[in-house]
Amino acid sequence: MDVAFIIETIVKIVVILLIFSALAGLGTYFERKVLAFMQRRLGPMHVGPFGLLQIAADGIKLFTKEDIIPQNVVKPIFKIAPVITAATAFMASAAIPFWPQFTAFGYTVHPIVADINVGILYVLGVMAIGLYGPLLGGMASANKWSLISAARSAAIFISYEVITGLSLLAPLMMVGSLSLIDINNYQAGGIENWIVWSQPVAFILFWIAAFAETGRTPFHLVANDHEIIDGFGTEYSGMRWGLFFIGEYANMFFISFVIAIIFLGGFGDGTLAGAIQLILKVAFFFFFFLWTRAAWPDIRPDQLMWLCWKVLMPIAVINVVVTGIVMMF
Amino acid sequence: MNEITITIDGKVIQTQEGEYILNAARANGIFIPAICYLSRCSPTLACRICLVEADGKQVYACNAKAKNGMEIKTTTPNILAERRAIMEVYDVNHPLECGVCDQSGECELQNYTLEVGVDSQTYSIKDTHKPVQDWGLIHYDPSLCIMCERCITVCEDMIGDAALSTVARGSDPIEAEFKETMPKDAYAMWNKLNKSLIAPNGGDTLDCTNCGECSAVCPVGALVSSDYQYTSNAWEHQQIPATCAHCSAGCQISYDIKHTSIANPEPKIYRVKNEWNYVSLCGAGRYGYDFENRDVVKHPEAFDAAVAAFQKADTIAFTSTITNEEALILQKLKEKLGLRLVNNEALAFKNFLSDYSTISGKTLYSGDLKQVHDADFVVSIGSALKTDNPNARFAMNNALSMNKGSGLYFHPISDPVICNMSKNVTQIQHSPMMEEAVLYLMLDLFGDKSAMPSALVEYLSSFHSVKTVTVEETVDEKVTETVTKMVLNEESGVEEEVTEEVTKTVKKKVSKEVEVDENALFGLLNAPAGFVDTLTKYLAKKEKFALMVGPDLYTHPNATNCARLVALIEKYTQFSVTMIPNLANTLGVAMICDLDGERGNYTIGYNTAGDFTLSALGDGDLDMPSLNQQEGTLTSIDKRVNPTNVALPYGGYVLNDIANAFGLNTTLTVEYTAHLPVDKGFKAVDFDALPNHYTNSGEEVRGYVLENLSVSVTGDESVEPFDASKAINEKVIYLANPVLQFSAFTARAHQLPSSGGLYVAQTAMETNGWSEGDCVRVKTSHGEVNTIVIADGKIEGDIAYLPTFDTTLNSESLFDGYRFAAVSIQKV
Amino acid sequence: MHHEEVFTNRNVTESSAYYYVDIESYPTTGWDKFKQVVRRTFSGELFIGLWVVMREMIKFDIHTVQYPKEKLPLGPRYRAVHKLLRLWESGYERCIGCGLCEKICISDCIRMDTRIDENSRKEVTEYSINLGRCIFCGYCAEVCPELAIVHGPRYENASEQRAHFVIKDDMLTPLDLLKAGAQEEYPGFGAIIPGSDDAVKKTPLAY
Repeated sequence: MDVAFIIETIVKIVVILLIFSALAGLGTYFERKVLAFMQRRLGPMHVGPFGLLQIAADGIKLFTKEDIIPQNVVKPIFKIAPVITAATAFMASAAIPFWPQFTAFGYTVHPIVADINVGILYVLGVMAIGLYGPLLGGMASANKWSLISAARSAAIFISYEVITGLSLLAPLMMVGSLSLIDINNYQAGGIENWIVWSQPVAFILFWIAAFAETGRTPFHLVANDHEIIDGFGTEYSGMRWGLFFIGEYANMFFISFVIAIIFLGGFGDGTLAGAIQLILKVAFFFFFFLWTRAAWPDIRPDQLMWLCWKVLMPIAVINVVVTGIVMMF
Repeated sequence: MNEITITIDGKVIQTQEGEYILNAARANGIFIPAICYLSRCSPTLACRICLVEADGKQVYACNAKAKNGMEIKTTTPNILAERRAIMEVYDVNHPLECGVCDQSGECELQNYTLEVGVDSQTYSIKDTHKPVQDWGLIHYDPSLCIMCERCITVCEDMIGDAALSTVARGSDPIEAEFKETMPKDAYAMWNKLNKSLIAPNGGDTLDCTNCGECSAVCPVGALVSSDYQYTSNAWEHQQIPATCAHCSAGCQISYDIKHTSIANPEPKIYRVKNEWNYVSLCGAGRYGYDFENRDVVKHPEAFDAAVAAFQKADTIAFTSTITNEEALILQKLKEKLGLRLVNNEALAFKNFLSDYSTISGKTLYSGDLKQVHDADFVVSIGSALKTDNPNARFAMNNALSMNKGSGLYFHPISDPVICNMSKNVTQIQHSPMMEEAVLYLMLDLFGDKSAMPSALVEYLSSFHSVKTVTVEETVDEKVTETVTKMVLNEESGVEEEVTEEVTKTVKKKVSKEVEVDENALFGLLNAPAGFVDTLTKYLAKKEKFALMVGPDLYTHPNATNCARLVALIEKYTQFSVTMIPNLANTLGVAMICDLDGERGNYTIGYNTAGDFTLSALGDGDLDMPSLNQQEGTLTSIDKRVNPTNVALPYGGYVLNDIANAFGLNTTLTVEYTAHLPVDKGFKAVDFDALPNHYTNSGEEVRGYVLENLSVSVTGDESVEPFDASKAINEKVIYLANPVLQFSAFTARAHQLPSSGGLYVAQTAMETNGWSEGDCVRVKTSHGEVNTIVIADGKIEGDIAYLPTFDTTLNSESLFDGYRFAAVSIQKV
Repeated sequence: MHHEEVFTNRNVTESSAYYYVDIESYPTTGWDKFKQVVRRTFSGELFIGLWVVMREMIKFDIHTVQYPKEKLPLGPRYRAVHKLLRLWESGYERCIGCGLCEKICISDCIRMDTRIDENSRKEVTEYSINLGRCIFCGYCAEVCPELAIVHGPRYENASEQRAHFVIKDDMLTPLDLLKAGAQEEYPGFGAIIPGSDDAVKKTPLAY
């Protein structure tokens, strides 16, 4: 392994970390603004022009706030849980091609940390480990709301892993590769090659599952404020709580990338236009997360489980079978 | 009195023949509006609002007597029109200052204006300028006065001061058109109202015994307590039902309490109220309410010192201003620790009662003040009535004025208040030590000689002799003449001149010699000339006789003989006998405690001086609660055990804590209420079960009445003859309190004077050349004291008196038990 | 499950616009539930929701009042912290100490100390409202016969202690403000109703 490769990889990791940490912050700003506008409010207004520096204010607040470790918590686990959430979110991004490869100053840059041949498997697997953040944090908090949240997150994440897995199976059967670059290239021919056209059901299922995986409204059950306060985050303060937050928003971005790459053609043929298209697609999915939060109510945990096992999973299985039959003939 | 049946508004009720319709209705819960009427007093007929229709005729319910089978309607269209007009008239020019008026909220004018529904005014008249007047303890605002004259009535018929009367208002006449247009009774009422105002008799200041009953009965805010004025609103008070703690009358009162101020949430007594229809208060009861032991906290070291003192002590000396329960605790401590209980004043009364029962066969006297109220011949012996027990004085006055009664007042000190009660009352100003002669006189005048022991009859007859005197007799002669007189027109209420021919009987005097029986007792007792005739006049048509005897007898050197004579009077005359206990609970203490005469070596004083002092006056070694800070019972002159309640908080130790330290183990003092000695007439009733109210018919439902138990008698009814030579004819002083004072507790009240002196009648001051404030040395065979001279307008004659309420004087030390002592007084 | 609630008829007439919302009953069998989900999923309700919020965002009709830079106008019957007023001409306190506010106060938070002053008038020496208890019902202002206690418009009451607003000196119009004509009269609770003179019966007042 040459030194240049190591340096390049480290630079990529740092860039991704910085960009997506910043995006997580910016995401909160946009979420507030979008929700506010949809509710005829103004949102943050007073820190910086149009409240833009609110992110900085929040960041300063989170960093300088006292890190309270309550008396009866299981201290090591309590401390490590937020790190798991944030770390897994960023680790998952290693296999995501954020941008087509391009040449700068005579140097070909691959905007992916590791183009591994099981890319999507890796992404889903590492994201699934993210479950340990809320689960351990909630169980270690010595708080009944946190405990309920931990139980819910375990149930929801594990259930919806099934949906994400099964729904992706059909497109993967068609592509024949687990590498996200390969999946992207499979659709490089143009808009008519997008997998969404051949696998609309899988697209919808994956999209729905994405809401559960990221814990966003209408499946925002792990930290449902009006029932269980902030769920697993109840006892956290300062930057530990901030890590949960960054993890959640990073996840939202990464899952948006995944949806855009797998179903909507990714960056297409790798031209600048395709690259910009990818950004727009990701932006749309991120925006959609906010949009639904403004428009839709949360559903009950039992409804969520019912939806998963009795509706979505059978449909996913049928979709795989139908895809297989179609491919056979 | 016969039971009769009348019907009011269709409701059939039972009442007594001769009862006023208003009282019959009230007793049966039927509402008839009435403003000027006072139960127990004579109808005034000022307000005319109590109009009812009896058997088809309009009468005033307050002065129309019920007849058997009477049909009464309380409302007819005409009566309603009259009432509406009357209330409108009362509201004419009545200042709209309910907002600041002290009576607001308990004002009868407000109540009846709303009851009748006055929402507009038909009448008007030019208002007159009536400036407010300050009468000392009482404040009079004539603008608010509605001339119901209840103040005048109560002062005359109940209190006996007759200090108020009506004067001319000086207003314009009522416009003529109203006479035709308005209802007749309303016009008559207005006519009278428009002419008069209330004023003190004799000038600008109120010359009376300051009982304040006039302000209590005032239906509006015209007469209010100067001290209370504008300090609070009536509805803010919590009313604590209690029993007055100052004298033995045991009047029912309510302490009206409220937080002291915004800054100080501690409750404070703002005033004392009474059910004036059924009980009248004296000034001490009304104004002497803030005698509480303030700001007391528990000092464990003081308590330990008290317990140590009790262990060391052999005597507890105490006064009778304690509850029955405390008396029982003292008695139990005596039994437990073998202490002596010393209370000379209660001991004298106890001995008097026991000597009395050797002949009467009863533990207690037969009478009470109710019987005095109902009597028509009242005699008081051995008591400075108006200050020993003001309620006894009110009862006597009430009997004299309401029952056309007459009375005799035997006392060495001339009392203008008693003498002015009625023209049918005579004071016999006997010399001190002649009380036995008075009692013999009573037996002689009223005793059933056929039943009395022969020795007694013989002794009495030794005072009689036959004497020939020249008397002037009057012969009647008839004369006819023409006179002009003023007659009150019933309809208009206006006095009119009427001329008529009258046949009169004119008395003509004729001299004549007759043989008369001369009673030497009259001479010995300094009876006024012509007393025999006066007495004959007094005794005409008298049926109910009441005798009150007072503390002069209990402390008399020959008290045993006095007590036996009193018992004989009760036995052989028609008199009911009521004994006036000295202090608030003298009777209770006398019944509960085994008292001893002499103090031992180490004395614990309770509210009195001792080697270790427990005191509710705030000056002792260990603080005790005063009677407005504790619950318990007090035994009154009416032999009634009355409950009293906590009006103000108390933070210190109580007697029960000390008793508990010696193993008596009782959580609350009032747990002793049920254990008061049943063999002395008390009942085993829990404190919380004791009622404390009057019913609408005036029935007293308060605590319970002591049972008057029988004791065995030997049949020995012999009494000693009296020794006329013992009469003290030199200069004497008397031991008594001035009006408004009873004890060191009344002296603590902020509205009453806190220091006393030698009280001297106005005339005596002039003859001795003293003036108010002069310092004098008062010297008796027992000691001497330097004090100042204070003029007392409510006594006459040469005898001065020293008070007990000012403990700095230590007046008792000048006396040898008996309330009179020979004295020399020198100006220094 | 569906039952009609019986309401007291408060000004609701036959022709009024009130009607009962028809709530469909819950599905009981699994098949029914499935049908309900399908129906709801494809009926487009979710998308209507999305459309509504999107529409509002596009319209950008913001309703936020930027307090404290902007303040809403207060209604005349607004009931904020009490004020004690003075008489315009003499400057005397209007409060006569009648105690009606004290009596009517349903949270029992008003107290006053009164005394007789040198001119034999009733003087209110101290007046306090416990704002911790006050529910701002306005009864005190309504019952006041002198228009002395009123609810002012001051609702910004940040302070270290509640007591800072409730002692007499804080509530009473300062004399200098009165002289400057700065005492405000409030048309709200307890003020004279327009035309109330007409409701008063005329009585003879010949003098």
